[in-house]
Amino acid sequence: MVFINGFSFTEATLVKRSLESFFGIGPKVSQKIMAKFHIHPWAKVGALKNATVMDLTAELSTMKIENDARREVQDNIRRLKDMGTYRGRRHAMGLPVRGQRTRTQINTARRLNKVERGGSGRVQM
Amino acid sequence: MPSANCLRNFSQLSLDATAHSTAASRFLQPRVACFSTSAARYANPQMKKKGMTAAPKKGVKTLNTKKSKGASGADAGKRPAQGERKAQRKRIVLSNNNALEVSSLKDLTKTNVLSEANEGLVMGLPEPVVDALRDVEAFKTTQGWSFFRRPAVLVRKEAIQLAKLFKAAEEAAPGKDKKTIRRILTGNRMSGKSTLLLQGLSMAFLRQWFVISLPECQDIVNAHTDYAPLEGSEPTQYTQDTYTAALLSQTLKANKAYFENAKITQKHDLAVPLPAKAKLSDLVAIGVANPEASWSVFKALWTELSQPGQPQILLAAEGLSHIMQNSEYMNADVKPIHAHDLTIVRHFVDHLSGVKQLPNGGVVLAATSKSNAPASPAMDFRIKSAEALKIQTSIPQWNPYTNGDARTMEALKDLENPKADLDILEVGGLSKEEARSIMEYYAESGMLRHQVNDGLVTEKWSLAGMGNIGELERASVRARI
Repeated sequence: MVFINGFSFTEATLVKRSLESFFGIGPKVSQKIMAKFHIHPWAKVGALKNATVMDLTAELSTMKIENDARREVQDNIRRLKDMGTYRGRRHAMGLPVRGQRTRTQINTARRLNKVERGGSGRVQM
Repeated sequence: MPSANCLRNFSQLSLDATAHSTAASRFLQPRVACFSTSAARYANPQMKKKGMTAAPKKGVKTLNTKKSKGASGADAGKRPAQGERKAQRKRIVLSNNNALEVSSLKDLTKTNVLSEANEGLVMGLPEPVVDALRDVEAFKTTQGWSFFRRPAVLVRKEAIQLAKLFKAAEEAAPGKDKKTIRRILTGNRMSGKSTLLLQGLSMAFLRQWFVISLPECQDIVNAHTDYAPLEGSEPTQYTQDTYTAALLSQTLKANKAYFENAKITQKHDLAVPLPAKAKLSDLVAIGVANPEASWSVFKALWTELSQPGQPQILLAAEGLSHIMQNSEYMNADVKPIHAHDLTIVRHFVDHLSGVKQLPNGGVVLAATSKSNAPASPAMDFRIKSAEALKIQTSIPQWNPYTNGDARTMEALKDLENPKADLDILEVGGLSKEEARSIMEYYAESGMLRHQVNDGLVTEKWSLAGMGNIGELERASVRARI
């Protein structure tokens, strides 16, 4: 088990995959981080040196990820709602925000358009 | 007088013959119009009552074709162990017990390997050379070694040309100017470029040269092994510790004879301490065991090989176009790293382009590939220019709208210079005599069941596109018609 930013990963996990498991890190950002520390794209977490793992953790701790990133999104939605805008209302109702039709196919909107967007996150060890 | 019942009975005969066994059953039938079956057809299908058939007896097996989760049938097969499928895929088979021993087959030896008398003959590879070739991964799964009793090669005219180059490098060595001969093997798909490279390697092994071979350039640049910036390099170069360690290990195994007696003559600055009275093989073994020290060990090994009195060196690489472009690695600014900035590739390309000379002379050989090759317009252009020089036609013009790799253009610019010792070695089709020779070998091995006469040779030679050796093998050994 290797701990990156307080989360444990099995040694056979790809570094890319483990980074992208954090809310706020996608393919581009993970590529950037890995290039910064010269980790090749197919590297497994178990093959990283301890120093590199520490560097990764230090880098991740300076980034706006996980709960910080979630909070930012939720704050944006809450601001819209508090101002009483149409978009805020649509978010509160769980309906499409950008003028899509509501007769059919609004499952994605139902799933995502909430004030508490992004869920509550994983439990940190 | 006929009753109404009788008439109805008569008209319903056409509907259903089976329904009329008794008069009672007739009245149970739905009343439908005569000669029309649509009502019956569109009526709701009758549900089969469950449990109508008797339950199977205890202990009697019944056919159950339903898929069900958790049943034994779902995942009965044993999964292959980790790495097993890859091992299967990469397995090199060099012998076929069912093939006949070819009695006339002579081995290549140290004395006859560079001789021109071998031209057009099929020669066997001796056991130690086969082991060494295996160590440097010169055999490929796509080649037909598994059809014959033991590995043997056809000494074709291009192989004789190569042998002459080896001879030239050897004869120059005792004199003042050590000669570095550089060649790029080109040719059509399946024309035998890799096999010619293998022949070059076996010449070097037999003549007791020192051999460093990059078995597949793709593996260096596809970002599957770790990399790290080299300290103090400007512009930044990148080392590949795991790959270099693997390369050192291959080199150590393949050049066993050299390492038996080789001593360390110079002082080397290594991170890992050397044992007292260490031999050169111990030094290389340190690089194999400690990948982080592998690049400095490689440099130390090269310094030792550069001392006067050391053997000639053969530097070989396969799949050249992979290292003539950007690699898959990224630098810290998320820009692709050019393959020439990787230390191993840089080392090879410097010697191929003539920036550095081999200290004790030798040959630098690079084989291109036509089946696994990324597009490299700059390399193709340089090779085309060299071809034009050879046949003395006008040198092609570079299309300015093409995106060429400037560093490749620079590295291979000697190809346009007739005086430089960088040149191409074109691997073409076999002549009919060569084709006959190899087909006789096929026949003697029992893999071609046909009398080898002029008619057959001409037929197969034509089928193989004017003697392309891969196609010839395909037409005569692989295809069983």
